[in-house]
Amino acid sequence: MVPARFRSSFETPSKLLAAAVLAIGLGIGATPPASAQSAATTAGQQAPTGLWLTTRYPDFSAQAGKDVSVDLTLSNHGLPPQRVTFGLDGLPTGWTWEIDGGGKPVRAAIAGVDSAVDLTLKLKPPADAGADKPVAFTLSGKGDGQSLSLPLSVTLTKTEPAKLTMDPKLPALRGTAKSAFDFDVTLKNQGQEDTTVNLLSKAPDGFQVTFKEGYGSQELTSLPLKAGESKDLKVAVQPPDSTQAGQYPVEVAAAAGDISANAKLVLDITGRPTVALTGPEGRLSGDATAGQERTFTFTVQNSGSAPARDVALSATPPSGWKVAFNPEKVDDIEPGQTASVAVSMTPSQQAIAGDYMVSVRANGPGASDSANFRVTVRTSTLWGVTGLAIIGIAVLVLGFAVARYGRR
Amino acid sequence: MTGRREGSPFSGLSTVALKEAADHMNSARIHLVMLLVLLTAIGSVYAAIGQIKATIGEDQFLFLRLFTTAQEPLPSFVSFLGFLIPLVAIALGFDAINGEYSRRTLSRVLSQPIYRDALLTGKFLGGLIVIAICLLTLWLLVTGLGIVLLGLPPSGEEIARELAFLFASFVYAGVWLAVAMAFSTLVKSPATSALCALTLWLVFTVFWPMLAPLVAGAIAPVDLLDPMTAVHQIAVQQGLSRISPNVLYGEATLALLNPATRSLGLLFPSQLSGALMGAPLPLSASLGLVWPQIAGMIAALIVLFTIAYVSFQRQEIRA
Repeated sequence: MVPARFRSSFETPSKLLAAAVLAIGLGIGATPPASAQSAATTAGQQAPTGLWLTTRYPDFSAQAGKDVSVDLTLSNHGLPPQRVTFGLDGLPTGWTWEIDGGGKPVRAAIAGVDSAVDLTLKLKPPADAGADKPVAFTLSGKGDGQSLSLPLSVTLTKTEPAKLTMDPKLPALRGTAKSAFDFDVTLKNQGQEDTTVNLLSKAPDGFQVTFKEGYGSQELTSLPLKAGESKDLKVAVQPPDSTQAGQYPVEVAAAAGDISANAKLVLDITGRPTVALTGPEGRLSGDATAGQERTFTFTVQNSGSAPARDVALSATPPSGWKVAFNPEKVDDIEPGQTASVAVSMTPSQQAIAGDYMVSVRANGPGASDSANFRVTVRTSTLWGVTGLAIIGIAVLVLGFAVARYGRR
Repeated sequence: MTGRREGSPFSGLSTVALKEAADHMNSARIHLVMLLVLLTAIGSVYAAIGQIKATIGEDQFLFLRLFTTAQEPLPSFVSFLGFLIPLVAIALGFDAINGEYSRRTLSRVLSQPIYRDALLTGKFLGGLIVIAICLLTLWLLVTGLGIVLLGLPPSGEEIARELAFLFASFVYAGVWLAVAMAFSTLVKSPATSALCALTLWLVFTVFWPMLAPLVAGAIAPVDLLDPMTAVHQIAVQQGLSRISPNVLYGEATLALLNPATRSLGLLFPSQLSGALMGAPLPLSASLGLVWPQIAGMIAALIVLFTIAYVSFQRQEIRA
């Protein structure tokens, strides 16, 4: 009865696809009355003739607590239109079922000649349905003198609880208050559902925490995570510049609904010297006479969080100028302390009256500052004296003339 | 000849000076010259104010711009003064002594208990008084015009700089007065002495700027292989041009009225490295800068007066 090629596939080891073929075979071939089958089938013909009720996966598993839907196909080959009324047997108590066709519940369907009707079987298990136990039932169809039957089996499985993990690659970083602290964090959704996670952080006051994609520059506040997906995030923490040396914990978290994952990050901030250079009495200007040395007292202040060592002083004077420092190098300035440096400037002999700019720098390892010092150059009063001398000579000449020729 | 007489050689000096000043004040010659100066000065300042209003938004030394801003076709106020002050001084002094000769009044004056010293000095001082009054009037007029038309009072430093400028103008006028008086004693005819003084004025005003480079080129030729010779030539040229009181006065006014002026001579780029260009100099530095110019003019004034004095003392006046 069954075509030879069907039989050969029947003999193959049981597989899902084979089971579907089996369902066809059972639905049609296993019914006892021969009349249930379409009589037109002949061994010589290639295309089988008949009425079938099929599904792709007759034995499947579904998530517990959710409705189950099974796609069905009622197909008719070579027969006049057939009306089929559906029924379902063998469901445990508490289960309800319904067959939908064309978007509405149906109780019967008609398959036209050489056509198929798509149907959906919807099952609603009770809330207390036991999991991990196969539930077998049979979908039956009663037509004009023929009976179709489709045994199905569903196994309810427990859903995996949604779970997020957050793993920093390097949880502790060390640097100065001005360094960039970039933590690489892998966020993974280990549940079975897609979700959207919010990114949260808890950091000491003044610390700025931003989330970025692993290789992106956009800042994130939340991101979608598909089931089983993992994403690399970059957590950039920017401590305030004035942060004192020490260890600072930063907690970052990802939350989706009532589940969350968190990771503890640690910033190990090392101290950093900051030097500031100021001129005499806070001013950045002074007077000097061309060709004559003048000493200004500069102040180097360390406003950082670590001692400043080996702060060397240098200057960029105009050409012909001499600038000397005493001392030339300040060995050690503790945080919050100041050091005085005597800066002796000798303007060039040829310097013209007016303002010149002398750039003074303090350079230490990791800290430097510069100040533009404005020197008002006064030219020597020698020419003033010379002018007076010339006038004096003229007056002497006049005096001589008066003495020689006067009172005539 | 050298009979020693009693009394101060300068008795009657103030009488002569005040009488001389009063005579000048009443003479039509001075009225005419001063009218010319006043008109040109007011014209140039008025034009400068228009220019300032149209172009300058903000300036620390707005008032000083009144003196230095030129609007085509008029030159600036200081250029006018540099040009016209000698004319006023020459008009005041060209016939100071030889005019008395030609009017035959000298022996009459000297028959009074007045020495020659007092007569010459008094005439010179009288001319200086007139010039001082004229310049002060002109200065007040310009400053007042500036306050009225700009609607701003001048700052303290501006006033100090303007006073220094007034003093420089006064010394400059004194030099030309001494020149005119020296010619009036050296030359017998008033017309000739006027012509001599005017010739000198023309030479220094018009021809000296052309002559100085020419003479400098002859004295210090440039060797193309030695760049320092070019520097030397420029130095010689500058020294020559500074013989002219006009140049000295021009440099003095430039440094006084333009506070950003830092040097009046040749500058090498090395002297300018690190210099803040455009920053105004303090007043004391500007005064130090122009002091050689002013000292030179004062010395020239004294030397010229000495020449006039010696010449006058040695003259035969019983005519």
